[in-house]
Amino acid sequence: MVTSLQRKHHRNAAVQSASKTTVSMVLLLVMAFYFLLPLYWLLVSMTKSTEQLFSTPMLTFPDQLHFFSNLKWLHTHQGGVFWQWVVNSVIYAGGAALLGTLISAMAGYAIAMYTFRGKRPLFLAVLGSLMVPAAAMTIPIFLLVKALGLIDTYAGVILPMLVQPFGVYFMLVYIKETMPRELIDSGRVDGCSDFGIFFRIALAIIRPGLATLFLIIFISTWNNFFLPLVLLSKMELFPLTVGLQIWMANLNTAGAGEPLYPLILIGAFLSILPMLILFPLLRKYIVSGIAMGSIKS
Amino acid sequence: MNPIQRRAPYLFLLPFLLLFALFFVFPFLYSLYLSFFVNQGGSNRFVGLENYLTAWQDYDFWYSIYRVAYYGVVQVSVMLFLALALALLLDSPFIKGKTLFRLIYFLPYAVPGVIAAIMWGFLYSPELNPLLHVFGILTGGKPLDLLSSDLVLYGIANMAVWAWTGYNMTIYFASLTSIPLELYEAAKLDGCSEWKMALYIKIPLLKPVIIMTAVLSIIGSLQLFNEPFILSNLTSIPSSFTPNMDIYNMAFAYGNFTYSATLSIILVLITFMASMLFMIATADGTIGGRKQVQSGKKTKRFASARIDEKREGVDT
Repeated sequence: MVTSLQRKHHRNAAVQSASKTTVSMVLLLVMAFYFLLPLYWLLVSMTKSTEQLFSTPMLTFPDQLHFFSNLKWLHTHQGGVFWQWVVNSVIYAGGAALLGTLISAMAGYAIAMYTFRGKRPLFLAVLGSLMVPAAAMTIPIFLLVKALGLIDTYAGVILPMLVQPFGVYFMLVYIKETMPRELIDSGRVDGCSDFGIFFRIALAIIRPGLATLFLIIFISTWNNFFLPLVLLSKMELFPLTVGLQIWMANLNTAGAGEPLYPLILIGAFLSILPMLILFPLLRKYIVSGIAMGSIKS
Repeated sequence: MNPIQRRAPYLFLLPFLLLFALFFVFPFLYSLYLSFFVNQGGSNRFVGLENYLTAWQDYDFWYSIYRVAYYGVVQVSVMLFLALALALLLDSPFIKGKTLFRLIYFLPYAVPGVIAAIMWGFLYSPELNPLLHVFGILTGGKPLDLLSSDLVLYGIANMAVWAWTGYNMTIYFASLTSIPLELYEAAKLDGCSEWKMALYIKIPLLKPVIIMTAVLSIIGSLQLFNEPFILSNLTSIPSSFTPNMDIYNMAFAYGNFTYSATLSIILVLITFMASMLFMIATADGTIGGRKQVQSGKKTKRFASARIDEKREGVDT
């Protein structure tokens, strides 16, 4: 988020030095290669057969592309379970992001806009729970989900992801900044109920904040591994992350059949492809959310 | 206000509170409860603090905590140094194509940790990656084996650096752009070079953010699970490599849910205490909300100005 003033500062500061520019650019390019090369390697490798993977140069496409045969293999392996994993990931991430955003927005709205008994302890509880990383709670959540009989259900995976203390904090700050309290009063004068005000007025005003939070929860659920790993045992319920790791686990297992190198590689690439394409468009939202999250502590 | 309006905030909070109680507070309490039992022949027997005494003497568990703490310090220092260097370079006037670079550096954030671990796991295999043979010059002919038990921790550190450097750089960059321009103007009038400006103005102003990212990253590394779990498919990583792996293994390899619950409780408490210590150590009055920043030092003021703005009123 470079402001125009900032740019001006930089232009004016341009007592440009060619050598400094060169050194800086070289450093930046080296780092850019470090970040991009593994992804490029993945792109190249998903077009190779297992044999080519070990026999052709690692960073060049093979003479004979196996992209379509790999894709076909992926499509038919275990009855095309890969696409079921894609659907599952969309369901988990979409469901958690949609409901999690709404629930967080409602809670953040209440804390931002109302005075009520128990507000301060509630706020402190939200802040305190921010300090417990989700991974530490995974086994406790598993034990509870098991006790509730929700193991191997979509709900068992989605429900725990709806608890987003960061989301509440984020919406609280966002709503405080963007929505004037007078709107509630004028809404009431017009005969609107408090829920009507929230759903008809507030949600429209805070839409960019909702989009940001939706993306953040979507990405974190899409990338989640530990929680679905412990909550699911049925292959047809796995998200992509757990599914691919299962193939990975059989890589060196004796008697597991042919190693699934090409499937893992093409599956991994396909599972990040949508994000790689959308990322430049969505980055602005994600960054603003992260920058705000970084302020929380 | 009529009664319906007075009830409104509670109704807005209801879904969150219900789920928070059910999937945060209750699992914790339930695990706490379980940690006082052992399972014998299908039924739970109350044993008081016995599990905690066992955990206290559990060498593997405490060694795994030591291991991730060591890992955290190594990985986080490399990562944050790179993140800071990149943010400062991108904030300097010598650079073209800033937006593109920022996008590239941030891109790994879009890749799930599991996919990144699979990718790097393959790249660490000398059969797939001939580059590793180049290091044979240093190791006496053998290729560099980042999956060997001596080096695998560094291999995992590299994955984390790859995944999270851009994320932290993004935070630093955002903070740098909120530094008031008058400071630069004044510095330039005093004949400050870009290098000195970074050293004496930008880095000191970033200090609170740097400390925060450092401690959050170290706390995060206490939770390490995905990467070593994936790599354990390719190499012999012990099942108690990290605290979370140990806890997972207790539950799913041994079926010892009560002891697994005990270790979870201990890990949650350690993480929570580490976070609290960090907050107390770095608190200059901005945390907890009541006190306001007392120090008039510019460093604190600028970096936390936005925090204070947001915090004000929130806690009252």
